[in-house]
Amino acid sequence: MTRRKFLLNFSPSIVNQAIIFRLVKDHDLMLNILRAGIDERGGYTLVEIEGKPSQIKGGVSYLEDSGVEVKELNEYVSKDEERCTNCGACVSICPAEAFIMTESFKVEFDPDKCIACGLCLDVCSPGAMKLQI
Amino acid sequence: MKSYEEINRRIEAGEAVVMTAEEIIDLVESRGAKEAAEEVDVVTTGTFGAMCSSGAFLNFGHSEPPIRMNKVWLNGVPAYTGIAAVDAYLGVTELKEEDNMHYGGAHVIEDLLSGEVIQMKATSYGTDCYPRKEIETSFTLDMLNQAYLFNPRNSLQNYAVATNSTDHILFTYMGKLLPNYGNATFSSAGQLSPLMNDPSCRTIGIGTRIFLGGAEGYVSWEGTQFSTSAPLNNGVPTRPSRSLAVVGDLKKMSTDYLRALTIHGYGISMAVGLGVPIPILDEEMAKAVAVRDEDILAPVLDYSVQSRDKKVLRDVSYAELRSGSIELFGKEVRTSSLSSYYMARQIAQELKSRIEKGEFMISRPVQPLPEDRSNKPLDIRSKEGVRV
Repeated sequence: MTRRKFLLNFSPSIVNQAIIFRLVKDHDLMLNILRAGIDERGGYTLVEIEGKPSQIKGGVSYLEDSGVEVKELNEYVSKDEERCTNCGACVSICPAEAFIMTESFKVEFDPDKCIACGLCLDVCSPGAMKLQI
Repeated sequence: MKSYEEINRRIEAGEAVVMTAEEIIDLVESRGAKEAAEEVDVVTTGTFGAMCSSGAFLNFGHSEPPIRMNKVWLNGVPAYTGIAAVDAYLGVTELKEEDNMHYGGAHVIEDLLSGEVIQMKATSYGTDCYPRKEIETSFTLDMLNQAYLFNPRNSLQNYAVATNSTDHILFTYMGKLLPNYGNATFSSAGQLSPLMNDPSCRTIGIGTRIFLGGAEGYVSWEGTQFSTSAPLNNGVPTRPSRSLAVVGDLKKMSTDYLRALTIHGYGISMAVGLGVPIPILDEEMAKAVAVRDEDILAPVLDYSVQSRDKKVLRDVSYAELRSGSIELFGKEVRTSSLSSYYMARQIAQELKSRIEKGEFMISRPVQPLPEDRSNKPLDIRSKEGVRV
């Protein structure tokens, strides 16, 4: 089983279709919706998909065939090591515990744990955390 | 008992034994303070945190025809020119006008250090001796006559731990505080912090040579809000107490040790890297520098109380704070440091290596810092009320 994160963009013409439902049911995938929204440009879903690599591949093909714009996104935020002062302000803010204060007092960011909440962005006073989408 | 002069002779000869305030702990614990004092000459400390009370004096030189600057902006950030014609003080927290807290004095200082070109604008009323009324020009740090940091309050001895009892998020100078005691933030290098290692400022006073922003600096005065009245635990104040006013040549500093900070919803500040060498004159000093995070307490305060008097929820040790969480009302509350312990360590190591190489001499204070000071509040008074 592997886990991958995707940003799915739905044009206004397809926002009424039950695409996510079919993705789960027909392709037997586990989905964790991290973020979703809809506005005049259409809808978007930031989703973590878990399944066998072949199933995920099949699911992605289904999405593309349905007219969904699929962008793989393994980094929702990134940490600029030059700007980071290793203070640790982000450590207690992150609900997913993606930031670890190591024994040598360096702050390490694990993008795999990131659930794309964005809480770390404005807490970083030196401006090391950057949004990637 | 060792003298300052004796220690300096050993530094000059490359024979001084120097340890950081972390390294000395084990030595004092295993061999005792007396033996440690005989063996070690200097202990180095360090801290790297937001120090809002910081800024730089700049002298721009005279234009042709000259101007007596009345107002000046550097990259759109106002600096204070209510002093001589082309002198200005740029405070780190000053905000760029109409910019909504993204850029400020600290960023100008960081840009100066990075060698960036700064845009300047100044206006004046014009005088017989200074006829020019407006100037727009550009400069870099090396084109200024003088540029030196003069920070009225740095290296605070201890600070509060911030938390939030309300059901909504708070944005404070202590960072983002999550609802319902969702987290707690603190800001001190604890056992590495300069004034925690010489808590009564026996060896730190006016004239003490320090590490400031990567360069040499000096303690110039007591810091603002200097206070000696806090209760002690293991000889260390358990509340914000002493502080240092410091000065140093900005031209010799580095962005490694001075970093502009944008504190969301609060404003701009600057992380200042500062380290003080502590001469181990005797057993008493060896005991003092052996202080551990376990022995240093800080008060947990509810920052939703919009008052200068916040009730202390409990006292916690820096060891507990650094463990990742503290206990509050039976609940585990995750903690974040706002100052960088990693950088504090790096500063103490850098200062150690400069002393070992004979590049950095210690200095006897010209004048000690006050022994008896307490903080006065600002109350609303009528002119007549003051006289009573």
